[in-house]
Amino acid sequence: MSDEEHVKPARPKQKRPVLYLAEFETPGQVFTAAEKVRDAGYRRWDVHTPFPVHGMDGAMGLSDSRLGWIVLACGLTGCSLALGLIWWTNGIDYPLVIGGKPPFSFPSSVPVMFELTILLSAFGAVLGMLGLNQLPRHHHPVFYSSRFERGTDDRFFISVEASDDKFDLDETRVLLESLSPSHLELIQEES
Amino acid sequence: MASETKSEKKAAPERYRIPREAAWANAWKLAAGMGVVGLALAGVAWSGDPHRFAFSWLFAFMTVLAIALGCLFFVIIQHMAGASWSVSWRRVPEIFASGLPVFALLFLPIAFSVDELYPWMEHQGQHDAHEQATEQEGGEHASGESILGASTALAQEHGEAAEGEGHAVGGHEHTPQHAQHAETIEAKVAFLNPGFFYGRALLYFAVWALLSWFFVSRSTSQDTKRDFETTKSMQSWAPLSTFAFALTLTFAAFDWMMSLEPAWYSTIFGVQYFSVAAVSSLATIIAVTYALKNAGILGEAVQTEHYHDLGKLMFGFLVFWAYISFSQFMLIWYASIPEETTYYHMRWNGGWQTFTLALALGHFIFPFFFLMSRNIKRRVSLLAFGAAWLLVMHVLECFWLVMPYANEGGGLELHWMDVASVLAVGGCYLAVVFFRMTQLPLIPVGDPRLQRSLRHEVV
Repeated sequence: MSDEEHVKPARPKQKRPVLYLAEFETPGQVFTAAEKVRDAGYRRWDVHTPFPVHGMDGAMGLSDSRLGWIVLACGLTGCSLALGLIWWTNGIDYPLVIGGKPPFSFPSSVPVMFELTILLSAFGAVLGMLGLNQLPRHHHPVFYSSRFERGTDDRFFISVEASDDKFDLDETRVLLESLSPSHLELIQEES
Repeated sequence: MASETKSEKKAAPERYRIPREAAWANAWKLAAGMGVVGLALAGVAWSGDPHRFAFSWLFAFMTVLAIALGCLFFVIIQHMAGASWSVSWRRVPEIFASGLPVFALLFLPIAFSVDELYPWMEHQGQHDAHEQATEQEGGEHASGESILGASTALAQEHGEAAEGEGHAVGGHEHTPQHAQHAETIEAKVAFLNPGFFYGRALLYFAVWALLSWFFVSRSTSQDTKRDFETTKSMQSWAPLSTFAFALTLTFAAFDWMMSLEPAWYSTIFGVQYFSVAAVSSLATIIAVTYALKNAGILGEAVQTEHYHDLGKLMFGFLVFWAYISFSQFMLIWYASIPEETTYYHMRWNGGWQTFTLALALGHFIFPFFFLMSRNIKRRVSLLAFGAAWLLVMHVLECFWLVMPYANEGGGLELHWMDVASVLAVGGCYLAVVFFRMTQLPLIPVGDPRLQRSLRHEVV
């Protein structure tokens, strides 16, 4: 054996495992499987389905998204930024009497406060969503699998990434096999 | 508890009825008692001070009417959207909307108090003899009989009377606009006259009674028929009904509330009353389903998922209310045209300033931040607290809309008649609603989409 390996110099590049991809045929199967993976304590894993499966958040043990807090912070920033801007420019820096109103008058700044709140909230929501999802991203190892193409059609997948602390080539395989997937493959990447 | 209600859900549909021994079965008696006490007090009030009573009654009437109309709106809009998520809670607003015909009776005190309430009554038949008429009115004002709420009434005043009373409205000066206001009102007499006013009121009540009868009777007949045809017919009538609803609500708000100050106008006033109706009715739906669910009557038909979405709707319409209210204020504030600013002058002077600011804080700022979080909307007891809070604010909002016209000075003044009127109107209406509740299944058990609604989930 060892001789052969010496004769054939090792493959040009070594492959390292990046994730297990388990395929299921029904949403029910993937749902119960997800609960098991959740209970096994994995953190870096995902479920891929062609359509939203109700209750999957709970089955995966996902906590509430942090996006709301980002949006709130952005909204409050926009609101106070608008108020501060108008107060400073109209009331302090360059007071102008417009329409017989005091140089700084609160009611006329409300529309701007409203608009900037909406604007920055929208920025926060879109950019925050992209950031939390680690997007944009041009590739993901799941696409090495040709079976994964059916993930947008009629198959349901669970992927468990090797970067998970609990990931173990054998233990994770045993766990995933116990969920009786219709197909299980180890996806490797050239390192 | 959970397992118990689960079995109820699977049990026969009769389980969604209020059991004979439940407290809810007697709720209508309590409401009726409130109504009787309120009506008795209202009788005393009417004979004692018919002027103040008329305003108290109008305030109470518009407060409770908003809830009933908002419920009708949500029934119609669910059919128009073909919504299935809302099926399990739709019966509650249906029952609240079915009480709408009661308001035709409750309108009688207003119909008999038109002279007390509406300044435009003084302008009837004055097209030809304007000068003569204003003299007569001057006399009436001096005797303290007529209504002064707005600059509109001042519009016909001459000399000292105008100065004296103008001061009471907050030092607002009217002198240049007097003649113009009188003319403005007289130009509106073709619309604002008793005959047309009563005719329109009849039309509104007819339309509301028809709409509530149609949608509620179809829905209840579906309880036994269990067919999809009924759903389709409600769906096909929903768009036209929405038009009828929008027009009647808008003009009712113009007629009964905005014409309290006939020289003043705001094209968004009808929308403003609609937003009041939407917020208060959603708050009512949330509070009542919460109470029914706590009593174990609704089983698991209305779940956290439904409350979450109802909460979102309530939050959305709360923002809508603030948006509309502020838009109206800002346009008037910015233009600063005297005949428009009177509306806010009256609500800023004579003790109203604190009230107005408290309303802005209590009806918007606090509930906005309170209801914003998903976690609050999904903790149903906290959501129910928000709903109850908004109902209290709703009463204050209607008070704010009507009562500045109640006394001659326009000052803020709480009167026992206000409470009595709310008791009377609310009691009579709720007695009918709660009685209907004892007779019907509390969810539309025959709606083909009920199962989908029961499995509703916020994704």
